[in-house]
Amino acid sequence: MSLSDPVRFPRVRARAILGSRPFLTVLLVAAVWIAASFAKPGFGAFGHLRYLFELGAVVGLVAIGQTFVVIAGGIDLSVGAIITVSAVGAPLVAIPGDGSGAFAILAILAAATAIGFLNGLGVALLRAHPMIMTLAMATFLQGLLILIAGGSAVSAQNPLLEWLGDARPGGVPAGVIVWIFASALALAALHATPFGARVFALGANPLASTLSGIDARATTIAVYAISGFASGVTGLLLLGMNGQGYVGIGDPYLLSSIAAVVLGGTSILGGAGTYAGTIPGAILLVTITALITVVNASPGWRSILFGALVLALLLLSGREARRR
Amino acid sequence: MSAAAETGARLYFAVQRRRNRDARGLLLVAAAFLALYAYLFPGLLSVGGFAKFSQSWLPLALVSMAQAIIMIAGGVSLAIGAMVSLGAVIAATSMAGPLGVAGGAALVMIVGLAVGAACGAIVVRLGLPAIVVTLAASFIVGGAALLILPRPGGAIPAWLSDLLAGDTPVAAALLVAVVVLWKSYLATPIGLSLYSAGENPVAAYRAGAPVDAARIAAYAASGLLSTCAGLFVAAQTGSGDPVIGEAFTLNSIAAAVLGGVGFLGGRGAMRGAIAGSLLLSVMINVMYFLGFPPVAHYIAQGLIIVGAVALPQFTGRRSGA
Amino acid sequence: MTTAPILAARGVSKFFFGNRVLRDVSIALQPGRIHALLGENGAGKSTLINILSGALRPDSGGVEVDGKTYRALSPRDARRAGVAVAQQELGLTSQISIAENVGLGDFPRRYGLIDYGDLARRAKAALDLVGLDEDLASPVDDLPLGRRQMVEIARALFREPRVLILDEPTSSLSAHEAQTLTGLLERLRSKGVAILYISHRLNEVMRLCDYVTVLKDGVVTADRPMQGVDAADLVRLMVGRDSGHLFPEWTPVADREPIVSVAGLSSSVLRDIDITIRRGEVFGIGGLVGQGQEDLLLSLYGALPASSRSATFRGRPGLPRSVRAANDLGLAYVPADRKREGLHLAHAIAWNLMLPSFARAAALSLRRRGAERGLAAQLADRFTIKGDLTRQVQVLSGGNQQKVALAKWIPGDPRVLLLNDPTRGVDVETKREIYGLLRRLAGEGKAIVLSSSDTPELVHLCDRVAVMRQGRIVANIERQSLSEEAIVAASMGAETARAAA
Repeated sequence: MSLSDPVRFPRVRARAILGSRPFLTVLLVAAVWIAASFAKPGFGAFGHLRYLFELGAVVGLVAIGQTFVVIAGGIDLSVGAIITVSAVGAPLVAIPGDGSGAFAILAILAAATAIGFLNGLGVALLRAHPMIMTLAMATFLQGLLILIAGGSAVSAQNPLLEWLGDARPGGVPAGVIVWIFASALALAALHATPFGARVFALGANPLASTLSGIDARATTIAVYAISGFASGVTGLLLLGMNGQGYVGIGDPYLLSSIAAVVLGGTSILGGAGTYAGTIPGAILLVTITALITVVNASPGWRSILFGALVLALLLLSGREARRR
Repeated sequence: MSAAAETGARLYFAVQRRRNRDARGLLLVAAAFLALYAYLFPGLLSVGGFAKFSQSWLPLALVSMAQAIIMIAGGVSLAIGAMVSLGAVIAATSMAGPLGVAGGAALVMIVGLAVGAACGAIVVRLGLPAIVVTLAASFIVGGAALLILPRPGGAIPAWLSDLLAGDTPVAAALLVAVVVLWKSYLATPIGLSLYSAGENPVAAYRAGAPVDAARIAAYAASGLLSTCAGLFVAAQTGSGDPVIGEAFTLNSIAAAVLGGVGFLGGRGAMRGAIAGSLLLSVMINVMYFLGFPPVAHYIAQGLIIVGAVALPQFTGRRSGA
Repeated sequence: MTTAPILAARGVSKFFFGNRVLRDVSIALQPGRIHALLGENGAGKSTLINILSGALRPDSGGVEVDGKTYRALSPRDARRAGVAVAQQELGLTSQISIAENVGLGDFPRRYGLIDYGDLARRAKAALDLVGLDEDLASPVDDLPLGRRQMVEIARALFREPRVLILDEPTSSLSAHEAQTLTGLLERLRSKGVAILYISHRLNEVMRLCDYVTVLKDGVVTADRPMQGVDAADLVRLMVGRDSGHLFPEWTPVADREPIVSVAGLSSSVLRDIDITIRRGEVFGIGGLVGQGQEDLLLSLYGALPASSRSATFRGRPGLPRSVRAANDLGLAYVPADRKREGLHLAHAIAWNLMLPSFARAAALSLRRRGAERGLAAQLADRFTIKGDLTRQVQVLSGGNQQKVALAKWIPGDPRVLLLNDPTRGVDVETKREIYGLLRRLAGEGKAIVLSSSDTPELVHLCDRVAVMRQGRIVANIERQSLSEEAIVAASMGAETARAAA
């Protein structure tokens, strides 16, 4: 009964790791990159790959929250709206005495987390279906946006955010650094803490989890709050990178976040998955987008290619077990 | 023969009456809002006013039905909006051409059925989750709409626009026709099996119900309703717009849920979805009429949706874990 | 007596997740005969039915219909041959009407539409047969459970079957409904229908059936005419041994201090229940199925809202308001439906064993894998759960799954274990282990509350038994007067309970 009892806990086989969804997604990214570098000179250049990571950071950050929510058995359709609110709101909450812009950042992150918290309250206490609750929240925020921004674009005027968008300490974009930190935190929370185990338990079987003593309400509220916070960070990063916030800036990221999560092997039905898959999922997604841009297709073809590739990848990389 | 037909008719209508039960409360609320609207805007009671109102309601009613069908089948569709756009651009590019109005309308319907059935086949036969498949489909369908018509344009023959969106309540008549068609569909074995396939597919399969066929047919019917809504929207505006349908995805879910259609399959009825869309549509009209800013529309809409879902929590507390 | 069978299984075997559920099973259904299929929960009865009706394919062996052998019988083949099944798990569609449910899958049609006239006539006829006098148009949602069971049977009769398979048809029926069913089956037999009848009620089976097949752990232990068999023989064939050997020897502790006492416990189901649970005892809760036993356990566990006049849990006043609070007070609950309520089937055994610990620990503390593995291995050893603990729980047999559902609570050192029918669908060997374990836990000073549908278990394992009926405790029977007769009598009605006590 030693700790490394080979009968109770057989050594994880290399084949199991090599056959896992996250690893397959990494392979897919590598294959696509190699093929694209041969087909299109300049694709494999350091600068271009770095650019892909920079775009991937935006999708990856918002997908952190989406991963938590989906694993817990929910879905967050309000991430796009929260990103927009954060990007548009940051310049508006700036106060005169705050030269660095830190106050605005903290205020926006607090607000985004609070929005997520409200989503969680609706799902956990009012027992509104996650799709409905977050959809209603998105609608609500859209109204709020028109109220605060009036539809025009606002520019950042925030030194800290400008730095976040432009700086490359050691050649690595600041956004990517933020993403790396956030990923490490997310992976640790998901796989190395009791909280993470509760999130998996809740998504796999809420009733059995509750009867095992897991506080389903608190866990639910927490994952939506995390999603709100992650969307807030994403909104700020986008504002820094674009220099401007405008209504609709967050819209594309709703679908990307869900697609990245699912491509990474996390079950949309909840209870199984990992953020380790979402990371290559996000990079795969921006790579596909970049390639489609490279082939110089019209917006229509781009959209068709994107949808068809996502669908094909899903079919390739294993289907969900038929649960219903 | 006549005696049997009589019991048959009696059974059929008794069944229909019982089904009204659940939608009754919602219909009352919608009627109250309608009355308020008529009070504020007496013009509603004129033929022209009623025609205008029914025109603003019809597309939402159609997409709500489209969403409800898929939800009853145990799924959800995020491609409704893209399908509406596709229907609109096909109508705007084909009807003025050699196909003519009839040919164009047929094309819109065939495309709707085919795309819907394809989504259904992927979900049902390959066992992929509906939400992901329809999400991917929304990109493909939306892209196709952009290919057909990269920017707003095209044309709908003026007479058709006048007919569908003029001063006569043709839209209301169309809605009645759609409801009658749906009723007849539900009176077929495959149509009625939809409820069983959505609620308990394994038991329905063992009982011999055509589970897969019923679900795929539901996706096809949903596609048909969505592209037809697009056709109507194009007729309203007189031209096509490749992104005109976007808002319909979310609104269709909202209306269906407002109408008591459940996410787990087999729960809810079409009359509920229609009532839900009516409520949403009247509300928007009333707020518009009272001069609320658009902000209030969004906020009120969000609150009402959540309120409708949360209400049962407070009125009927259920026991049991 | 050697009529050719209409439907027969020949040497059928079936595996689930590597566990053998059926081995080389043969059964032949002949016209004009009521054939009983007996066996404990988990013996493989449902699997056999599903194979006979084409819903499952056997891994080896074949199904014979009218002398023709099918390697893979499809549900459609079975239906065409006139096989109809009334399932035990209700498969009705709640929103559509009774008549439409009865006709589902076999709607009469005219011009492509459902022929409501024909449907009404034939559904009425089928419902008359089972003695159900409900409005054809009312949705199934409105019917109580017993009536739904009758609709399910009417659905099978609607097809005018040549082979009728009834899976525990009387489990939720009233005595009167069961009688109607008996009469119906006798009439169908005289018309030459082959009937396969699955039931747990032995005397009913012995009265009604002509022939019996007994399954034990997936193997046929008897296949013979009913004549000359007595009930004790059947039980032996099902269980494999006399029930006496199943239970451990134990001596009751004389002085048992109360650990939980509740007075006037009421909820939507429970009516004014007084209950005292003591350290070191196994306290049984008996009664017919669904008399509020589960609600009682869940109310004590803080999972269902309830009120009480007074309540003391380990010296602290008041009922626990949540499962967390109950856990903190030292209560643990093992549900009856372990697949839905007790376990996370797709997760590892070790992970399931650690789950209550995850719920207890600080949310953002770091997990220590080494310690977790050591603890899980220790629990597995103690509960004799064999093999690799990184496998999914669903690969385990029912008995081993139940051990996981119980073992996961042990690290939290619970003082009161609330067990809801813990041996349902568990094989005999595991039952014996669980019984021994429960007595040992009681010997360590824990309080065990055992709600059970298995009366012998209550008699042989418990210090005392409370019998519930319609949300009340109608009898408290102490060890010295415990007997199956006393419990059954109290379950059936207050009058007889008093007479027996």
